[in-house]
Amino acid sequence: MRNAVPIASYRDLLSRYLRPHAPAALALGACLLLSTGLALAAPAIAGAFIDAAIAKVPLAALGRLAALFLLTALFAQAAALGATVIGERVAWQATNALRLDLARHLLSLDRAFHARHLPGELIERVDGDVSSLASLLSAVAADLLGSALLLLGLVAALWRLDGLLALSFGGFVALTAALLEFVRRRAVPLQQRSRSRGADFYGLAGEVLEATEDLRANGGGAYALSRLRAGLLTWLPTYVRAEVAGYGVWIAALCAFGVADGIAYGFGAQLYLARALPLGSVYTIVAYAALVARPLGTLRERLAELQGADAGILRIQALLSERPALRDGEGLLPGGPLDVAFDGVRFAYPGRDPSNAGQLPALSDISFRLAAGRRLGVLGRSGAGKSTLARLLMRLLDAQEGRVLVGGQDVRRLRISDLRERVAYVTQEVQIFRASLKDNITLFDPAARDASLREQLQALGLGPWLARQPQGLETQISGASLSAGEAQLIALLRAFQKEPGVVVLDEVTSRLDPETEQLLEHALELLLAGRTAIVIAHRVQTLESMDDILVLDCGRVAEHGARKALERAEGSRYARLRASGFLEVLD
Amino acid sequence: MRTSAPSQAPFVRALVRAQPLAYATTALAWIVWNSWPLVPGVLAQWFFDALGGKAPFGLGVAAILALFVASGAARAGVMGVAAKSGVRLRFRMRAQLQTRVIARILRLPGAQAIDVPVGEAISTLRDDAEAGALAADWPYDAVAGLVFAGGGLLILFQVNARLTLLVFLPISLLLALGNLARSRLVGVRAQSRQATADVTAAIGEVFHSVEAIQAAGAEQRVLQHLAGLGDARRRAMVRDKALGALFDAVFLYAMQLGAGLVLLFAASAMRSGSFTVGDFALFATYLMQVADFMGFVGYLISSYQQSAVSFARLLRLARGEPEVLMREPAVPLAAAGEALGPLQDLAVRDLSCLHPGGEGIRGASFTLRRGTITVVTGRLGAGKTTLLRALLGLLPQAGGEVLWNGRLLTEPSDAMTPPRVAYVPQVPSLLSGTIAENIALGKPASPADLRRAVQAAALLEDLDSLPEAFATEIGARGVRLSGGQAQRVAIARALLRQPDLLVLDDPTSALDPETERRLLTALSRSGQTCLIATSSTLLLQQADQLLWLVDGSIAAIGSFDELTARGLRVR
Repeated sequence: MRNAVPIASYRDLLSRYLRPHAPAALALGACLLLSTGLALAAPAIAGAFIDAAIAKVPLAALGRLAALFLLTALFAQAAALGATVIGERVAWQATNALRLDLARHLLSLDRAFHARHLPGELIERVDGDVSSLASLLSAVAADLLGSALLLLGLVAALWRLDGLLALSFGGFVALTAALLEFVRRRAVPLQQRSRSRGADFYGLAGEVLEATEDLRANGGGAYALSRLRAGLLTWLPTYVRAEVAGYGVWIAALCAFGVADGIAYGFGAQLYLARALPLGSVYTIVAYAALVARPLGTLRERLAELQGADAGILRIQALLSERPALRDGEGLLPGGPLDVAFDGVRFAYPGRDPSNAGQLPALSDISFRLAAGRRLGVLGRSGAGKSTLARLLMRLLDAQEGRVLVGGQDVRRLRISDLRERVAYVTQEVQIFRASLKDNITLFDPAARDASLREQLQALGLGPWLARQPQGLETQISGASLSAGEAQLIALLRAFQKEPGVVVLDEVTSRLDPETEQLLEHALELLLAGRTAIVIAHRVQTLESMDDILVLDCGRVAEHGARKALERAEGSRYARLRASGFLEVLD
Repeated sequence: MRTSAPSQAPFVRALVRAQPLAYATTALAWIVWNSWPLVPGVLAQWFFDALGGKAPFGLGVAAILALFVASGAARAGVMGVAAKSGVRLRFRMRAQLQTRVIARILRLPGAQAIDVPVGEAISTLRDDAEAGALAADWPYDAVAGLVFAGGGLLILFQVNARLTLLVFLPISLLLALGNLARSRLVGVRAQSRQATADVTAAIGEVFHSVEAIQAAGAEQRVLQHLAGLGDARRRAMVRDKALGALFDAVFLYAMQLGAGLVLLFAASAMRSGSFTVGDFALFATYLMQVADFMGFVGYLISSYQQSAVSFARLLRLARGEPEVLMREPAVPLAAAGEALGPLQDLAVRDLSCLHPGGEGIRGASFTLRRGTITVVTGRLGAGKTTLLRALLGLLPQAGGEVLWNGRLLTEPSDAMTPPRVAYVPQVPSLLSGTIAENIALGKPASPADLRRAVQAAALLEDLDSLPEAFATEIGARGVRLSGGQAQRVAIARALLRQPDLLVLDDPTSALDPETERRLLTALSRSGQTCLIATSSTLLLQQADQLLWLVDGSIAAIGSFDELTARGLRVR
């Protein structure tokens, strides 16, 4: 068994996120105490009724006792219900807060971190691990505490009837808990072995499903099936042993509860025959014995879950201890178009960045200057470093040598939020959120007004397009429901929501059909008007309206100059590219 | 319960038919187990009556206590039997569903045999096959339920018919209705599931676009969006849980309500002694079991309904008729098809194959002759791989025909397999196991055969450097091999089949020039007919004919020299 998570980890996390809910916790405690007390009172009242009936007290008094029994039971259930609801609400509030903190933290981390951690993993961390913590919290509150209280209460109530009975019962509870845990632990290695055989089988099944092409084309299907059947056959005996051992826990529990009944009935009979207790109290004892099964089971399950949540808590803490590599600056940028300069910039991705495997990612010795309001076209093969250039400008990455300047200031001195407000970056890959059109354009800006957004779309010539959307700006969209062109359109519209001084377009028209490209053309022109622009492209035609051209090759500046001049220059790469229309010439 | 024949019944029948004896044993054991709770109630009644001086059948208190212990032990024994046979049975049923689905998948066009991510397919194979096997419990669980309910009512009726009618039946009815209502709460359940799915999806979207969010400086707004979704989920979850807890509370209270009502109605009878303390204990015990029993019935109904969904999901994964899950597949996947004779020429006419996005290949026509090497080339995304896959039937063809020695192939995915054709994909998939197993893939092969294939694939030197040679375990998906080694294992796998036509997709991408040259020499010396997709200059120059693909269409056909002479930059 792992015992890796020190109690302190739980305490730190819990106290940080539970402290704001102290009043609710008090109410919860009150509900638990009340429900436990009342649940224990009900069998005692039934016992009293029986004794009263045997003593032939008047019917009206018996009626009152029956009514009291009903009311007690009713309030016991109501209090238990209250405890569950409060516990659930606190658990979700606390873990929602934790979830948000984690998400905020992860969003502040840079590319190096996100290259190491795939989105699927982060979903599992932020949602999976935290959700298991949520069920744990509510379980701890309502189940763990409630069960422990009930068991303690049972022993106390029995004490009132007979000391020895209470002692034997307490001993029984402790022994049973130990016995069940012992049986469970014996089952655990068997279950682990079975799970690992099962994992082997499903691993093989996964391999086979991934290799369907190879198997189909090489006549290997029968072989794959026979391998899978063999895997199942080796799994079967371990599976049977493990599952039967699992039932063993159940059987042991049954035997234990049989013993509980035995204690209750045996003691009851003895006490009654010795005239120490009336028959009604014997009934109370027997009814108490029936109460013990539920809390014992819950207690055992929850404690096992608590161990299972260890790993999740460790992972959450590991994430929270990651530190962002980028440091924020103080500088602010002026309004209007901004100039851009690269000064001896060198950059290489860390060796183990899987998102750049197999490419030539480095930039070295990049220097150029782009005056405010001019437009620069950047050309180069894939992997030449075009997008890296843009990422350095946005401070999604920091250069290892040299400086990147915007508005004459080193980007590392600028406040990151200000830089990203004043530089718009539109990429080919557009992420669409499952949300309304409006939220997708404004990226969830609650201050955005429909009217001004509509005006903006009209001005861009997109009125007819908007009119085609079934619910206008409120139309719910998703990545799957949009064409590549529409997604690109939304990415452009996002850039319009700022007042950028520099606009960087990264291959934005490369995937579009001619029709959408035309739709975008006007919007693009408006976006670039009066601003400094950097347009990254793989087709020469898109760069006809640029002022300057920069050709990148293997991370170096292969050519840089005014477009007109390069067009005229004999043998320039740009001129050759224009003549052929194909970028393959660069190869 | 539903009266119309539920759709999962035939599946269950097929599962049961496969092992009737084990099923009968399991069923009997569980029926006994599930109706056993009737016993302790009766024993409790006897106990209190014996204490009260009215010993039933002359049994003393000690004898009744002994019966308690014996009944507990017997019940544990029954559970042991039920567990042992039931566990094995369930595993076999699950395995039956799993292998049938996989067998079916292995006969679909290989490049698109499953249309969901592998992880999702595996979870269907694991969880839905389990749920499907669980559906086979249903018939005997239902019988057990009837035995328990009928027997219990009979016993209670004998003790006190008036109380049974007045208290027990109404409470049972109330609990049954409550259970029904709970199972109908799908709306609330669906809302909380939807809210959870929304949160998960939003978190996924956020982490997929971290860079875009950072570049837009939209972190705070996105977090607010997440917070809003989280609140919605919290409300939905709390509502869901509260409602569940409310039902639990009502059930538990109904039980006590019953006990209270028994006290009220039986007060005078108890005073007079005609309703004994033992009778009360019996009623109270059975009332407690009614709640559990109703829970059991509710579980039965919901798991039965769930199994319909699971069977549907398994069928969707297998993309086949229901029979797929009910019959053992015919000996699968052997190369079917008519006797076509040794390859003289393969003619492709107007072959088209389109991806959902619209790309693909259109109207490809060409001819391969025996003993020649044909190379498909073109830039990234021109459709080279699609052309090979469509030709081999690994992707559904949208049009066109393939003629083997002039005979039309009606089912290319069956005909274009060994011994006629063997294929090496761009990124070959290997299975965990030894190198020999991966090369043979179940084809009987002598060590000499294996060695020949490995030599022809230019893998011999690598193999000799491995201490265990052919017996080397290559790990999951072949991770212990280098990319180039994996590729040549796959080539050896294809060559072992001595195909008329060898189809290779980018076979040299992971090879160094020296190995590439050796492989090529071996291939051209053997006179093997080859169709190769590549952009390797060496291969382009050696090929007898080049097919130059541009945007999914064959733009030119000819030798390297012919094409370069026409001024085409094939390289």
